[in-house]
Amino acid sequence: MRWLFVFLVFITLTVRGQVQEKVLTDYLRPAVFSITMVMVHDVVNPPAASRYYTYIMLGAYDIVARHNPTLVKPGVLVRKFPETTADGANYDYRVAAIWSILETGRLMLPSGYRLEEEQKKFMQLLKKQKIPQAVIDKSLAAGKEATTRVINFSKGDNYGLLSARRRYNPLRKDSTWYPTPPAYIEAVEPNWRIIRPVLIDSCDQFPPQPLARFSTDTTSAFYALAKEVYIVSKDTGAKSMYERTIAGFWDCNPFAVTTSGHMMIGLKKISPGGHWMDITGIAAGVTRLDFDHTVLAQTLVAATLMDAFICCWDEKYKSNRIRPESYINRYIDPKWTPYLQTPPFPEYTSGHSVISTAAAEVLTYLFGPKLDYRDNSEELFDITPRTFHSFREAAEEAAISRLYGGIHYRDGVVNGQIMGRAIGEYIVKKLKSVGVNKLR
Amino acid sequence: MLRWLLLQGLLMSYCVIYAQTPLFKLLPAGQTGIRFTNTISETEELNVLNYEYFYNGGGVAVGDVNGDGLEDLFFTANSGTCKLYINLGGLKFKDVTKEAGVEGRSGGWKTGVTMADVNGDGLLDIYLCYSGRNQALRGNQLYINEGNGHFKEQAAAYGLDDAGYCTQAAFFDYDHDGDLDCFLLRHSVKKVDNMELAKARTEADPLSGDRLFENQNGHFVEVSQKAGIRQSALTYGLGIAVADINKDGWPDIYVTNDYNEPDYLYINNKNGTFSDMAEKSFRYLPQFSMGVDIADINNDGLPDVMNLDMLPEDNRRQKLLQLQENYESFTLMTSQGLQRQYMRNMLQLNNGDGTFSEIGQMAGVSATDWSWSPLLADFDNDGYKDLFITNGYLRDYTNKDFLRYWGDYKIRKAMDREPVKLMDLVQAMPSTALKKYIYKNNGDLTFSNKQGSWGIDQPAVSSGAVYADLDNDGDLDLVVNNINSPAFVYENTGAGNSWLQLKLKGKGANSFAVGSKAYVYSKGSAQYEELNPARGYLSCQSTVLHFGLGQEKTIDSVVVIWPDQVRQKLTGVAVNQRMSVTEEGGAKEGPQPAPGRTVFIRTQAPITYKQEGFGDNDFKRQLLMLFMYSRSGPVMATADVNKDGKEDVFISGDKNRPGAVYYQQVGGQFATPGPAIVHEDSSTAGAVAFFDANGDGWPDLYVAKGGYSMWEPHTSALQDELFLNDGKGALYPAAGMLPDLSASSKGCVKPCDFDGDGDVDLFVGGRVVPGQYPTAPTSYLLVNDGKGHFTIAKTPFDQIGMVTDAQWMDLDGDGRKDLILCGEFMPVMAFLNTKTGWVDKTADYFGQPSSGFWNVLALADVDGDGKQDIIAGNLGLNTRFQVSGKEPAELYYADFDHNGSIDPFFNFYVQGVSYPFVSRDELNEQIYPMRKKFGSYKDYSTATMGNIFTKEELDKAGKLTATEARSVVWLNKGGRFQRVELPLPAQFSMVCKIATGDFDRDGKTDLLLLGNHSDNRLKMGSMDANYGCLLKGDGKGGFSYVSQPVSGLSVLGDVKSAAELTIGGQKYLVIGVAEGELQFYKEN
Repeated sequence: MRWLFVFLVFITLTVRGQVQEKVLTDYLRPAVFSITMVMVHDVVNPPAASRYYTYIMLGAYDIVARHNPTLVKPGVLVRKFPETTADGANYDYRVAAIWSILETGRLMLPSGYRLEEEQKKFMQLLKKQKIPQAVIDKSLAAGKEATTRVINFSKGDNYGLLSARRRYNPLRKDSTWYPTPPAYIEAVEPNWRIIRPVLIDSCDQFPPQPLARFSTDTTSAFYALAKEVYIVSKDTGAKSMYERTIAGFWDCNPFAVTTSGHMMIGLKKISPGGHWMDITGIAAGVTRLDFDHTVLAQTLVAATLMDAFICCWDEKYKSNRIRPESYINRYIDPKWTPYLQTPPFPEYTSGHSVISTAAAEVLTYLFGPKLDYRDNSEELFDITPRTFHSFREAAEEAAISRLYGGIHYRDGVVNGQIMGRAIGEYIVKKLKSVGVNKLR
Repeated sequence: MLRWLLLQGLLMSYCVIYAQTPLFKLLPAGQTGIRFTNTISETEELNVLNYEYFYNGGGVAVGDVNGDGLEDLFFTANSGTCKLYINLGGLKFKDVTKEAGVEGRSGGWKTGVTMADVNGDGLLDIYLCYSGRNQALRGNQLYINEGNGHFKEQAAAYGLDDAGYCTQAAFFDYDHDGDLDCFLLRHSVKKVDNMELAKARTEADPLSGDRLFENQNGHFVEVSQKAGIRQSALTYGLGIAVADINKDGWPDIYVTNDYNEPDYLYINNKNGTFSDMAEKSFRYLPQFSMGVDIADINNDGLPDVMNLDMLPEDNRRQKLLQLQENYESFTLMTSQGLQRQYMRNMLQLNNGDGTFSEIGQMAGVSATDWSWSPLLADFDNDGYKDLFITNGYLRDYTNKDFLRYWGDYKIRKAMDREPVKLMDLVQAMPSTALKKYIYKNNGDLTFSNKQGSWGIDQPAVSSGAVYADLDNDGDLDLVVNNINSPAFVYENTGAGNSWLQLKLKGKGANSFAVGSKAYVYSKGSAQYEELNPARGYLSCQSTVLHFGLGQEKTIDSVVVIWPDQVRQKLTGVAVNQRMSVTEEGGAKEGPQPAPGRTVFIRTQAPITYKQEGFGDNDFKRQLLMLFMYSRSGPVMATADVNKDGKEDVFISGDKNRPGAVYYQQVGGQFATPGPAIVHEDSSTAGAVAFFDANGDGWPDLYVAKGGYSMWEPHTSALQDELFLNDGKGALYPAAGMLPDLSASSKGCVKPCDFDGDGDVDLFVGGRVVPGQYPTAPTSYLLVNDGKGHFTIAKTPFDQIGMVTDAQWMDLDGDGRKDLILCGEFMPVMAFLNTKTGWVDKTADYFGQPSSGFWNVLALADVDGDGKQDIIAGNLGLNTRFQVSGKEPAELYYADFDHNGSIDPFFNFYVQGVSYPFVSRDELNEQIYPMRKKFGSYKDYSTATMGNIFTKEELDKAGKLTATEARSVVWLNKGGRFQRVELPLPAQFSMVCKIATGDFDRDGKTDLLLLGNHSDNRLKMGSMDANYGCLLKGDGKGGFSYVSQPVSGLSVLGDVKSAAELTIGGQKYLVIGVAEGELQFYKEN
């Protein structure tokens, strides 16, 4: 009888433990998404968003890696990451990790206060799981400690120096980028190249192929590239429907401005990085990944995104290429507007192509080359979910979507993919070399 | 004595009562019988989000439609029924809409209204305009007055049933054939954001381009294309006014356009065609132009233009509503041939030579929020036209928090799985009823806000308006059409001043003599009006002309110039009457006499030089500065470099050429055989001087390096250069003569043998440290060893501030030259050159220091007492910030966020409180952590420096102040200077160069102030109202402004240098401007 009682308690505890594990693991995707929503509110630009994702995940990963000796320590992956060996006892590291995600977001994001509501929701969830208050308190303290460390680490990445740098003054050459309609927004993050990367060595480590030489000659290769964008935009029927579905699905423009008279309306969506963070969450769910490895996957994807943006942004302001909208308006059709709103930075290479391809390479390494999943990450933004069979398939589509949307030339897309693949492959090689194994 | 005291008491109490009774009294509808409201109901189907002209309001027309000598009123209702009220006298009105048959089309969207005798039968007809999305309900209506109290709609019969998107019509006789033609103002309904499309401005749009109709035997025939009227889909016409702008006897047309499309000034070519001369006449225009009025505000006989925009007056609403500066879209706008435009009201003062000086900020009328109708009329009968402005918009839909709200709203709805409702959004937009503005004309080009004391302080959302003497008591009453609240009828209760009203009866079809002009002369003063009723906004003024005459009891004469140019002079006209004048035959007004001898004559430039810059944008380097510093050229200096008896000139280079000496040849030509002196792509010549550096008797050249955006301190780009004369007139770079002088960008070089050792030393003023504005740059006192080697002397002024100019003069009569210097955020300072060193004696000489934005100092004896006086050029008064000792401009600076960049915060007083100039967007861009501090525009909208930074941060920060913006003269009274302020035309713009001399040859010293500065923050806009301000000296230190047609000056652009140059014995004034050609004026 006594034995039976002990057994029952054991079973209960084990079941409760399993339930808790599942609840907390399932909570990772919404936790990251809550960060995404604050960034949507604040209209955080795509490179800056990738930076926030990296730091909110690094603190969490730091905690998880301390508790799971099979995981590679963050300091091994990330140069100069300030690890600590000191660690309190009697706390739930998963609670601490999640708290670190929310707390880092709260402290770093401009409207971080908006996460306080999410933190309350999370507390209620913990109480519902009957986690003792003493454990919660200690976990939160551990989460805060990791947050403090990661925020200090973030201060060394040169982000604070950006506002001391010269802003971009358009060169006003025929071939160079100029802000585009309707809002003619100033160049986004022209100095992003100075940001310290996470997993790679430098911003110019993966130079893309040379781009097609600017020309207004109607027989030139460049004219043909622009003409292709124009012709694709004129597609009709099912072809057009397909192209526009894909373009819209991968639009990921944090702030498209539409004007109506004196009024300007901002239409918001999650950034490309936010989209891939959510895909990672979806993949973890589909593969029933455990808590620790979900955090690992999210961290690695975030860091890959951040590095890919740094490389891409370095190239964008080096090549400083004119957007199709400006070129087509000047040389082909003055009344043409692209299906998607042209984002406010130079064209080459396509950011979505670079970062999607890089992220897909890392995800493919972690989850394998084939994975069926349903991407519903932008359902809230009126975008119908789509089904994919591999990350590479998704990345391929994300890349070409920029041509369909009328905001990139084909070489910006294709060479962006090559660049992204090189970044992804480099990171995968690094992961292998330090012992980050495939997840399945 | 007691009686006297009593009288005093009575007078005083009379004054008190008088002061307490506002000029205007709002009459209740119960008293007037005018129960009109322009009711707008917002629904899911019809609201501002699907029809953006939804809140643009209705108009008012005033005129005597029944010929009983009383002014009647017509109101347009956008979607309701229009109303015609007959004036019963005693400010009582009767609604006769139904009997008259003038309700307007049910369901149609009514806009502007005009009264005019369209068919020439002597009765006022009513023309009503339509807009709106529904084509079937558009089509303008012409109500022909049948003289029996009934009107008959006959637009189609007259050819005026235009079914485009119409705003308003003006009837006038553009071809001088004696009948009224029609200009129809229309607007596009689709906003075009792509500025590349400006190319499409020549394409005609059938529904939105403006139209001109010629009256051909009673039928109106469309002649727009032929007449040169712009008809593109980019026109957004909101205001129209007709006036003879250039006083050539032919009516011209002013059209305002919303958004990027500039306003049009159609000058009548006298042959049935018009030319848009807006760009030639105006230096810039309002961005979102609304209503317009044209009248003579300074009684100089020239029509001035007042047009409106949307800038709020108070800091909070400015921070909430003002658009973010966008240099890229601004540059694109100008490069597409769209004129420079800024968001604020503008008062364009007619200079009489085809140019206008925009002085709205100095006049004090530039910010009246979302404004619609300006009306210039003499409300207090003091002889100067005052200004009434209606304003208000049902929803603050430019609120910047709202822009972000929309995106969040959509997402929230999606999360809640609810449909998006436009009405949710419409109702989320804050609604603010605003007080109207009324300004008294002070008679000196400035206006005073009289909202409170004149009783115009009822908040409402107002649109069109008229003024008229409704109760025939000799003063002008006001009628305003409001959205969703009853129309205002303000009775003018003024009394005591004289007045005169003219009711003109013309010959033939133009029975109300539209287009007539009237001058009223009284004791040396003249007033001028034109009879062109369609003005303001959607509205039509009276055909009775009204003149206030102040305390005058007699009128010398009245001159009427009829539309056919016949001049009729009336004498013996009594004051305080409405006088009917019927056209009689007579001599025609001849062309205006050409001004006699002008002081200067513009001549063909013997040197072809058009300065071209590099397109620098200094604000990309330091976002929070006020002005750009990169464009300092062309700089000039003159000397007979080759000693051939002819003056030569050095002109610095530009994007296309290096600097060079231009040697004067026989015959007045110039040649540049010499070496390149400073390539502007590797450094910038900031200031130059010819002087004999090595004592060989030949002029050498010192080039001080300036510039900002491209150069770094302590690099060769900022190292000054000395060019020595080879003794044959050629200059060569002299190496090793100068110490390291590269710490700052410089603004002036002033040679002087200050130590009396027989060689020429130099003061070189530091202007700015590139990238570190406003930290004090290094200024240098360079001591010459007699052979042209210079060393730096330590002085108390080597870090004195941002020095712009300096002058050497012996202040204390000890035979040693002392140094006067000035600069930005600095006072004019005096340093005495004593045997034991330099002593700051500023307070002794100038009293309370006047810190300002000083740009230039000149020395001349202007009062003939044998002592040199100082003329100092400053920012002027025509800016957004007015500074004083009590309310100074303040500039705090520090690296607040410790990232290596100086964060300068400029503050100035708005309505009694000092606020930062910085917008929330700029603050967030400059100091990232501020994004957390101010989460919304609303949070930031009331912030002062004390809310942004801690006391410790501010205490540690640098702080500069400015208390004086006026350009002044300091008369040398021996041992101290007495300040004399220069007249207001001298304060129209920044003064950068000053020439002195007896230009008009009357034996007294005159001043010529040159300046302008266009490359400023967009929120400030271009400062360019100075076309060469010639001030005639009275020999006693007083000055009066010489008008542009008399001075002969029309200097365009930002003046960077000015030099007197003698060519073939004739004196010339050479003016160098940024991004422009050298301008040569012969001294006549």
